[in-house]
Amino acid sequence: MKKWKDILLVMVTMVLLAAASSAAETPLILDLRPDDNNPSAPVMGDHLRFWSTIMNTGADPIEGLVAWISLVEIDPGNEQPVDLEDWSAHKVVTGAALEPGQSLRTDWPMRLIKGGDYRVVVSVTDRGSHKVFTSPTIQFNVRQKPVLQAGRVLPAAAGVPLLIIGLMVFNKTRQRRKKVQV
Amino acid sequence: MKTHWTIAYKESAQMLRSQRGLLWVLAFSGLLSAFSLLLVSNTELSLLDNAQVVYMMSGTVLASGALLAAILGSDAYAGEKERGTLVPLLCAPVSVNALLTGKALGMLTAWGVMFAVATPYLWAVGASGQNLGAALFYLALFGTPVVLGFGYLAMAVSARTGSVLASLLSTVTLLMLAASPLLIGPGLRGTAIGRALDAVNPFAGALNTLDSVIIDSEPFSAQFARLLLVVVWLGLCLLAARRSAAHPNFQ
Repeated sequence: MKKWKDILLVMVTMVLLAAASSAAETPLILDLRPDDNNPSAPVMGDHLRFWSTIMNTGADPIEGLVAWISLVEIDPGNEQPVDLEDWSAHKVVTGAALEPGQSLRTDWPMRLIKGGDYRVVVSVTDRGSHKVFTSPTIQFNVRQKPVLQAGRVLPAAAGVPLLIIGLMVFNKTRQRRKKVQV
Repeated sequence: MKTHWTIAYKESAQMLRSQRGLLWVLAFSGLLSAFSLLLVSNTELSLLDNAQVVYMMSGTVLASGALLAAILGSDAYAGEKERGTLVPLLCAPVSVNALLTGKALGMLTAWGVMFAVATPYLWAVGASGQNLGAALFYLALFGTPVVLGFGYLAMAVSARTGSVLASLLSTVTLLMLAASPLLIGPGLRGTAIGRALDAVNPFAGALNTLDSVIIDSEPFSAQFARLLLVVVWLGLCLLAARRSAAHPNFQ
């Protein structure tokens, strides 16, 4: 009798372990790739596009899916998360549901606002799992572009006042000539 | 030539031909030169910083234009009275409306000159950034009623009080209050009182539009409420100026 009890205990333990192992497996695959048309050496002002694919590999539907993109600056001494407000109008996908085997492909466009080294990642969570899944990261460098060009600013900054001074001198000379004529 | 054009020509000539008027234009261009030269040395500006610079420069142009309109408007009636030329002017066959329109056209010319002076600066700092064309368009569209409104208001106070100093003090104080969004941060403006002031302040309306189109690239459809605010402001100031100009202070 004791032998049967031991066998039963071992079987129950194995079933529980299998269930726990299954729950620990990732129920989705999350992939992130750059668009083929992205510039190879992007400069400030360029547009980049990334594609994420979320696939439900589990046996249950995923409800209330939330996927969002994050950008982190990794310049030495300036490591920080980037507020994407000015970089992209498309920062999140909410409320999607994925049946088992179904996938969701999303594009993430962004405009490069500031030069530096960056890493981009897409994260996903859902209503029930209490977990956050992250995609592989993609690293890229944005080359700094001179925003203000001295070649433009200096002529304007010096030329306009000089032009007005010239106009003042011209006016004064003309007034003097008129007085002399009178 | 119609009477109001004659008056407008005389007022405009004061701005473009007199040394006093040109000195103001020179001071204004000096201000913009200093502002743009300060920025050249900064090599780490982002595209957004560039848009921010265009926005700040547009705000400065708007404030300077409104200040000039307040000065010219304050001088319009009270200045004529203090120089002893108001009574002969009113005795001349010039209608109240023609006088007001002529002086307003003179102010409009002064604003046009300031806009023309500011354009190369805005191009210099904003050509490599975003929304420069929108900045110029909206500065003209929203700046003109705001500037003209302050001019009309100054004319109303000038005709009512008969004193350049009183008119100048009251209008410039109001202008400083209206232009305070240029100085205070968005945090303070986000409070209930800040939002309420923004809702009735035409200067803040114009600034918020410049912010919206230059930095956030928002479309024209998002600016209707603010456009209505500045047009109402212009209408109210015009009414006040017409009422006061009909019965100017001779005492």
